[in-house]
Amino acid sequence: MASEMEVPAELSSMFERHLRYRDLSLLLPFILGFTSNNTTEQRDPDQEAPQTTGSNERIILINPFTQGMVVIEGAASLESLLRDMGNKNGQPPASKASIEAMPKVEIGEDNKDGECAVCLEEWELGGAVKEMPCKHRFHGGCVEKWLKIHGNCPVCRYKMPVDEEELGKNIDEGEGEGERRVEREIWVSFAFNGSRRNGDSNENPSSDSSTED
Amino acid sequence: MIDFARVQKELQECSRDVEASGIKVAPKSDNLGRLTGTIPGPVGTPYEGGTFQIDITLPDGYPFEPPKMQFATKVWHPNISSQSGAICLDILKDQWSPALTLKTALLSVQALLSTPEPGDPQDAVVAQQYLRDYQTFVGTARYWTETFAKTSSLGVEEKVQKLVEMGFPEALARSALESVGGDENLALEKLCSG
Repeated sequence: MASEMEVPAELSSMFERHLRYRDLSLLLPFILGFTSNNTTEQRDPDQEAPQTTGSNERIILINPFTQGMVVIEGAASLESLLRDMGNKNGQPPASKASIEAMPKVEIGEDNKDGECAVCLEEWELGGAVKEMPCKHRFHGGCVEKWLKIHGNCPVCRYKMPVDEEELGKNIDEGEGEGERRVEREIWVSFAFNGSRRNGDSNENPSSDSSTED
Repeated sequence: MIDFARVQKELQECSRDVEASGIKVAPKSDNLGRLTGTIPGPVGTPYEGGTFQIDITLPDGYPFEPPKMQFATKVWHPNISSQSGAICLDILKDQWSPALTLKTALLSVQALLSTPEPGDPQDAVVAQQYLRDYQTFVGTARYWTETFAKTSSLGVEEKVQKLVEMGFPEALARSALESVGGDENLALEKLCSG
């Protein structure tokens, strides 16, 4: 409930939805709060200045069950952080080879009934359409545009082969620093009932930080 | 770039069987990028008898990107924000397909009204009530339908009169009513928000 009070309802529900798609659900964190834009003013004086310019956000997640807390700094925005975390944006694009391999079918007298489910235009006599492995037919331009975004059949969701190389490349890009913002996570674990109290605010979490995986 | 030719086709198709489906889609202005959808509350649910308006915004990539839909009529449902009207529905997000249309998407939203999924909530408060105290949930949902989703049987003139009695100028009340399709609650909201 606390999260409801502190964060706009839409953001918190967006967060919950993204969480469901990821194993982070084990962590069951709640957004305690986040700041944006004016982070330099609110930054602790004993912490080094961030290397990035532009707007940064600080996101604080707490897990009431393990009493762990994580502060994420440098996320471009809450939304982009969630997008990175979730990375569940539907079916990945179809491989180039599978798109090129779709056979062309001529529209003749015998198969002229029907329409392209993407642009809703009826088949034109003498025109050519592309046929997917599931036998659903679309205009070449229409279906190719879709398959380059999501590699499944618009009608039956038949999954097209995914380019393994592309996937690998994406992961590499994700891991490399490149032009990505520097994100820093600060893990803190603490006990409310006084038996244990420790906190570390280093960039590298120390070994007794129980919530680090 | 929005495929306006397709949107036109969709509107024609939708108006053709509005009698059967009860689902309406109308552009808000000459610009087809912003539309209003209307769905009747499903029979046998706390939403029965209500008429629900949904704001639709088409992204540039439509139909390769899903339309943005949000309830304009307040509704009490686990998967719809009671505050913003935001809808939690997979086909409006990562499960969108360009073979879906505004009409089929609205049909799915209507189906969502019949089959709430409290395990996958948009509005945590509503979902908790649904799970813990179903009778109260039904009561609240019904009350919200009565209060916000029922276009009264009053004629246009009577509605205008009512708004005039509340202190709004007649011309303004009339145009507000027209712009929201005759729903006096929405008209009042519009008048109050300036």
